Amino acid sequence: MGVSMRSPLCGRTAAVVLASVLSGAGLVASCSNRDAVAEGPVNLNAGVPVGAVLALSGNANVYGQDQRLGLNLALAAMNGGGGINGTPLRLAIEDSGSDDPGANAAMTLQINRGMLAVIGPTLSQQAFAADPIAQRRGVPVVAPSNTAKGIPQIGHFISRVSAASYVIAPLSIAKALQLQPGIQRAAVFFAQDDAYSTAETAVFQKALADKGLKPVTVQRTNLADTDFQSQISATLALKPDLIVLSLQGVDGGNLVRQLRELGYKGTIVVGNGMNTPNIYPICQKYCDGLLIAQAYSPELATPANQAFVKAFTANQSRSGKGPKIPPQLTAQAYTALQVVAEALQRLDKRQPLKTLTVAAARKALMDEILGGTYQTPLGEIRFTPEGEVIQKDFFVAQVRMNPGGRSGRFALLP
Amino acid sequence: MSDLIQLLLNGLSTGAVYALFALGYTLVFSVLGVINFAHGAVFTLGAYFTFFLIGGAAGANGLLAGFQLPVALPFALALPLAGLASAAVALGIERIAFRPLREHGADPLLALITSLGAGVVLVNLIQLLVGAESYAIPTSAMRDLPAAIRLWGGQVRTVQVVLLSVAAVLLVALSLWIDGSRSGKALRAVAEDATTAQLLGIPSGRMIQIAFGLSGFLAGIAGGLVGLSVSIAGPYFGIGYGLKGLGVLVLGGLGSISGAVLGGLIIGLAEACVPAELSGYRDVVAYGFLFVVLLLRPQGLLGKVLPTKV
Repeated sequence: MGVSMRSPLCGRTAAVVLASVLSGAGLVASCSNRDAVAEGPVNLNAGVPVGAVLALSGNANVYGQDQRLGLNLALAAMNGGGGINGTPLRLAIEDSGSDDPGANAAMTLQINRGMLAVIGPTLSQQAFAADPIAQRRGVPVVAPSNTAKGIPQIGHFISRVSAASYVIAPLSIAKALQLQPGIQRAAVFFAQDDAYSTAETAVFQKALADKGLKPVTVQRTNLADTDFQSQISATLALKPDLIVLSLQGVDGGNLVRQLRELGYKGTIVVGNGMNTPNIYPICQKYCDGLLIAQAYSPELATPANQAFVKAFTANQSRSGKGPKIPPQLTAQAYTALQVVAEALQRLDKRQPLKTLTVAAARKALMDEILGGTYQTPLGEIRFTPEGEVIQKDFFVAQVRMNPGGRSGRFALLP
Repeated sequence: MSDLIQLLLNGLSTGAVYALFALGYTLVFSVLGVINFAHGAVFTLGAYFTFFLIGGAAGANGLLAGFQLPVALPFALALPLAGLASAAVALGIERIAFRPLREHGADPLLALITSLGAGVVLVNLIQLLVGAESYAIPTSAMRDLPAAIRLWGGQVRTVQVVLLSVAAVLLVALSLWIDGSRSGKALRAVAEDATTAQLLGIPSGRMIQIAFGLSGFLAGIAGGLVGLSVSIAGPYFGIGYGLKGLGVLVLGGLGSISGAVLGGLIIGLAEACVPAELSGYRDVVAYGFLFVVLLLRPQGLLGKVLPTKV
């Protein structure tokens, strides 16, 4: 058992170098139409190999940190329960950074290492780049946090446990209008260089249009932006009473802070990119009041969720750091590994993994993943034949910051 | 009218950061004729130093997880101390990445690579020690100041005014020192011709160290101020500013201190002029403007065309 975790210092660079070397090896192999790793037997010496590709550095690291915690909790739970029918699960996490090349390199590395499935990448933008590699190589991918339209449609081997933005995002708009029926002037911000943001803003704008609200302005930003004074000045001149953000955690957190500092007092709805407690240190006391739709509730009274919350709470008490209530991204990452592990258990019972080649195990595992029903922290989930998650329960939360503005929580709204 | 004031305020507050950043580049370029690519990393360090000096605690993902200094200084004291710490780092970079090459008479171009290497090492060191997560200097560092103030009909965040004011004070102080003090004139002499300056009894090596120290101090101050204004978005957050600072350096004229200030303010204003709906493309406008200026005036706005010696 155990996590093979590389130091962030050299992880990404090493990933790129190793991926290059291994890609070179792969090229040589492809010249002879052979993929030696895929054609070889599943290597169970150190456990059943499963990989993860997470953004542990760069702008999206705030998500990767949440996800790593979820994976580690799931790993401990699975191996504590006997692993894969007695063989421990071996999880290898690779840092993808927050960009496409990093995701491609990390995905290639995990595939060439013989991982039976890969969890990740963190960002939809990265998934659109890296998932086709897994699809071509026949490696199951379970996305824990990609919400953009079109992710499972990349191919048969791509699935996700994160509900698409078109399912979740409209809920927060409806809640905002329910809480404040007089809203008439909505402004929209989104990061134009990010697949998640552009996909989600389309959903938000449609939801606004369905409610008879045409945005008074649509502001385009970039992921790396931190100073929004000009856009905010222009927006506030139009006197909006609702501002809808499809941004990631860092840029979104900065924008919220600057909006409030410059005097905006109306409702702010944010998208899934800000669905992490890691925004608290960025927007601080100004995070208070943000409305956000969620695919996870810590209060869900199912045995699977209660076990997850208990493990999370115990871990946080031991470390003495971080949020006390599980974030959605942590729950989704936990769920992703749980799905893979349970599918592996079923597969191993039908066809022992040690009798299969890597390629055959990957193919059969994908069928098991899609065919199963799972009792997870997100509630009961299953998949469409295309790999889209089917989930029943969704929620809308409001950020409540504690006095001092250094910590807070996502308080579920009735 | 208030729209114009708002635009000016937006542009100046952004431009001041660029100017402060580019000044550090300029100081080193003026004495060595090369760009210090580790400057962005020193800027980043300045933000982290400030964060820890005001009592911030490291997150959960680095070797220093949970680390916190036993003191929590007020921001006004933490910022100059962070500047001094950054100056010390810049001096170390000079010692490790620049001086050995200079002493061996290596092509100055090689220092670009060694400084780039030093920057990469620093950034990765930050990540190793305190993780890649974002940090933010608490808004309480601004004490009882209001979050935003109105100036001549426009509105600006108070932190931006602080940033603009500190930048202006530093720029004026630096100009006065360079033009009015003996050591400042010595620095100019070294910038003009290091060999001749050495023959005239000016310790070129010492002046180069002063340039690096000042450059690091300015970078540290800029990093701390930007960290206060926005968040410290991980170890790589100086990279974007570094690229923009390079543009400012070239626009103002390589090695020109007043050019760096002017270039910074112009780029800031150019970005502010981009219509809000197109603001996602403001880098295109800024760099497009730079491109046009360089076509018309390759030496930059205030750069000098040096006569070719034959």
